Amino acid sequence: MAGRDRLVGALVAGMGVAGVAVSTYLTFVHYSAAPLVCSAGGAIDCERVLTSGFAVIGGSALPTSAAGIVWFTASAGLAVAQLAGRDSPLLSRVQLAWSAAGLAIVVGLVFIEIVMLGAVCLWCTVAHTLVLITFLLVITTRRPAAEGGRA
Amino acid sequence: MARKRKGARPAAKTQQKARPQESHARVKRPLRKPVRGTPAWVPALGTVGAIAILVVVFLAIRYFNTPAAPAPANSTQTAQVLSTITSLPPTELEQVGAGSSNNRITPITGTALTGPGGKPLLFYYGAEYCPFCAAERWALIIALSRFGSFSGLTATTSSSSDVYANTRTFTFHGATYSSQYVEFQAVETTDRNQKALETPTAAQLALVNRYDSAGSIPFVDFGNRYAFNGATYLPDSLQGLTWDQIAADLQNPSSPQAQGILGSANLITAAICKLSADQPAAVCSGPAVRSIEAHL
Repeated sequence: MAGRDRLVGALVAGMGVAGVAVSTYLTFVHYSAAPLVCSAGGAIDCERVLTSGFAVIGGSALPTSAAGIVWFTASAGLAVAQLAGRDSPLLSRVQLAWSAAGLAIVVGLVFIEIVMLGAVCLWCTVAHTLVLITFLLVITTRRPAAEGGRA
Repeated sequence: MARKRKGARPAAKTQQKARPQESHARVKRPLRKPVRGTPAWVPALGTVGAIAILVVVFLAIRYFNTPAAPAPANSTQTAQVLSTITSLPPTELEQVGAGSSNNRITPITGTALTGPGGKPLLFYYGAEYCPFCAAERWALIIALSRFGSFSGLTATTSSSSDVYANTRTFTFHGATYSSQYVEFQAVETTDRNQKALETPTAAQLALVNRYDSAGSIPFVDFGNRYAFNGATYLPDSLQGLTWDQIAADLQNPSSPQAQGILGSANLITAAICKLSADQPAAVCSGPAVRSIEAHL
């Protein structure tokens, strides 16, 4: 694994850890009585987003942020596996597919925030940005097929 | 050195033998120059650009789809609608039963909650912008009016920019309630534009923190014996309807509005009957209310 790839892998793992921290905080706030550190009222309104029907998965009691914990944990795990020398074309493909799926979900969540709720949750935006950065890092490490590498 | 190799092939062959690795590398070298792949920053920049365009499109959709605020109801219209919905025949409420409502009322434990008058206290926590609160207020007003009477209720609508935009309703802000059976306190935290309106007391906030840890509104506490958060029916049946139309629909027990609102009102009535020791009997002894009470 090239030095540049190792650096990118470490950054992806770092994004995963940061994402797990943010998602865990939002999940903790969902289940506890702790007040959310975020502005309320106006366009930036975490409370409005996190108390909406979209803040839980499919009408269940499970907060959407719990899915964030799973996604970031898996993303960090894939990066660590590559750093640990288990880099393979298949692992790279899985990581690309995983980060692309995460980005697609983020686009959907942003649509809900802007179009359906008319409010943006700052903490959610931090998590969304981490997903976007993860995807950008993953696609920049893709080696072109002409040079013998694979995705 | 290159010239030397060109001019003296045998010597070069000798060198090849002496350095087999270099020879192998030469054999493996591609016949043509490798095609330069797309620079790594191109797809990254493309992704960022696509995301930026999507966000702009979302903002445009939002801008062009936000309905204008409806005209406010005048006081005469409000009084007529309130008179209609608080004098619905008990037989109709019996006929609806739980209707299409979703029983979210659950038992809770804690010190019995009483109001300043010593009677069991029903505490409501919501906001005027909230469409689910807008829906629930119809049911709360109908249920509570069976045990006492409101004054000062005014018509309003939920936010124009939230889901179920502009749901017609009434606000508890500025209203008072009197009953010989229960007491009622309401906190509307913000107006329909999400500007701060009322601040809960420390005791009220403690109730919210304890029994509504998810922070969902509306939150209703029945004397610390029962509570629910979220709406007990969806506001979709109220979409696009005026106060008058909703009041008219409530007189038809099979209408979706009656099934939702009156069904929820019966749920709330049953929970209040639990607090009031089934008083008044005229309200609490009906088969529908008794049936719901048995499941609380």
